[in-house]
Amino acid sequence: MRERHPRSVNFEIPRYILFMTYFSNIKTAVSTVFEGMTITFSHLLREPMTIQYPDRTPLPVKDTLPPRYRGFLCVRPEICTACTLCQKTCPIDCIVIEHSKDEELKQRVMTRFDIDMAKCMFCGLCTEQCSTGAIYFTNEFEASTSNIKDLVFKFIKQGEKVIPYKIPRKKKPAAAAAETQAAAKEKKE
Amino acid sequence: MKSNAAQQKIHIEECDGNEMILNLGPSHPAFHGAIRTQIRLDGETIVAAASEIGYLHRCFEKHAEQGNYQQVIPFTDRLNYVSSMMNNVGYCRAVEDLMGINVPERAIFIRVIICELSRIIDHLVCVGTNLVDLGALTNFWYTFNVREMVYDMFEKISGARLTYSYTRIGGLSRDLYDGFMDDLKVVIKETEKAVSDVKGLIYKNRIFLDRTVGVGVVTKEQALDWGFTGPVLRASGVPFDVRKAEPYYFYDTYDFDVPVGEHGDTYDRVAVRMEEIIQSIRIIQQCAARMPQGPIITADPRIKLPDKHEVYGSIEGLMNHFKIVMHGITPPVGEIYSRTEAANGELGYYIISDGTQHPFRVRVRPPCFYFFAAYEHIIKGQMVADAIATLGSLNIVVGECDR
Ligand code: SF4
Ligand code: SF4
Repeated sequence: MRERHPRSVNFEIPRYILFMTYFSNIKTAVSTVFEGMTITFSHLLREPMTIQYPDRTPLPVKDTLPPRYRGFLCVRPEICTACTLCQKTCPIDCIVIEHSKDEELKQRVMTRFDIDMAKCMFCGLCTEQCSTGAIYFTNEFEASTSNIKDLVFKFIKQGEKVIPYKIPRKKKPAAAAAETQAAAKEKKE
Repeated sequence: MKSNAAQQKIHIEECDGNEMILNLGPSHPAFHGAIRTQIRLDGETIVAAASEIGYLHRCFEKHAEQGNYQQVIPFTDRLNYVSSMMNNVGYCRAVEDLMGINVPERAIFIRVIICELSRIIDHLVCVGTNLVDLGALTNFWYTFNVREMVYDMFEKISGARLTYSYTRIGGLSRDLYDGFMDDLKVVIKETEKAVSDVKGLIYKNRIFLDRTVGVGVVTKEQALDWGFTGPVLRASGVPFDVRKAEPYYFYDTYDFDVPVGEHGDTYDRVAVRMEEIIQSIRIIQQCAARMPQGPIITADPRIKLPDKHEVYGSIEGLMNHFKIVMHGITPPVGEIYSRTEAANGELGYYIISDGTQHPFRVRVRPPCFYFFAAYEHIIKGQMVADAIATLGSLNIVVGECDR
């Protein structure tokens, strides 16, 4: 059950003490209100913490995000090796890659690379293990749309065929890797 | 005598002429998440109460059985979404213990820092929202300012603001960014300021004292019987803390105290949380001073993805890379219960491995479930407004309670 507060008035004590308590209560009330007010007033003159989104920020918000920010995924099909590791590692299967042997070109081609951004939970498992850095996070995050199908990002257009990336033969692998990374960096910038 | 199950239900026929039935929740602004408590009221006094959960059930355990061990990490973010880092750490620690992996020291120290920061923001959110329920809105802004700063830090570390997925089995996904320690200093300063501001605003405030002292009392015996852990148990006077009782991650080498309450009422729970924030700051400071250099993920080839230059440069690296991603991590057959002290109490993961890449079972022992199970007993005989104050101080996070 609810107990009385230790500082609340006890009605069994003599009248004169009651009178004293009455005044001391007023004193505590005033002093505690004053104490609280000093704290709130000290906050009054500080800079505001909030910003007005989206149109009154000095920079667009996506430019102020940290470099590791996990926004929408993006894929560079030209350096993707079609290894499908990202598809395998995604916990909720929102990446779909289709690749097959093409008779005309006499080699494997990718025909589909879709990421369902409506399902994606931006966990970062897919980008971490991509060996060429073909799949990466961007700083884009504004996703509102009236049709959820707009959020299925297609990185290979319908009917298009993309030849998976292969490390050029003559160069040493390490040099090629450095080149890929440099290309990736350039793209990001 | 009625059976237990029958007592739980509240029927309209049982009401006397004066009584009425009220639904608190499942979507009620004073209820922290989608939970529901049906109460039978006599005037303003609660005569009987029955709680119900399940509105936020997302089949965490089933999902975990479907995926492989790494793929469970993003799902653990969604348990206690106020302090996701702790869930990440708790899960990874369980799998690491199961596999007998040694995590590098730097990773451990970083984990402790992010855990304690998470504890700070969890407590700040709890105290802030609890005070909003009591009508003190100002504190909410002061506590949330700090939370915002910590979120910015976490965003810089991991790339996300709420669902971090920062740890990996065997270590961490990323190292700290440059300038982390400077940000940490600013955050600690601001936290101290916010805590002293909030303390100044509430501890002598007559309304706050009247609304919290002696409200929602959980005695020592009750708390132990109901399986409480964490700040709520400590507020009832039991000095149990997993960090002290079963030290992990060098917690025994840090100098910190476990604040203990006396009466187990709402006031004590708020006070214990405020004090724990200060203790967490102490741990963070010691940890930052001792932070070693070195790798952030174990070198064990069973779990570590090889470095990119190895993947390009050597066939072994490439094969190892594919093997880990395609086949996942396979701990030995066995089971483990591993617990960490999360912000709300003991967060346990019970994992059974059958030697394949999928966990056979991942069971989570959430601290909040036990609080909410006891909630209907705590609020019996109280006023409705006190029930709201009690709920806020128990800090029920439904994502964790329902899973
Ligand atoms: S970020 Fe996570 S959920 Fe999204 S596509 Fe990658 S692995 Fe799947
Ligand atoms: S994006 Fe990367 S992981 Fe995915 S298929 Fe292409 S190369 Fe493989």
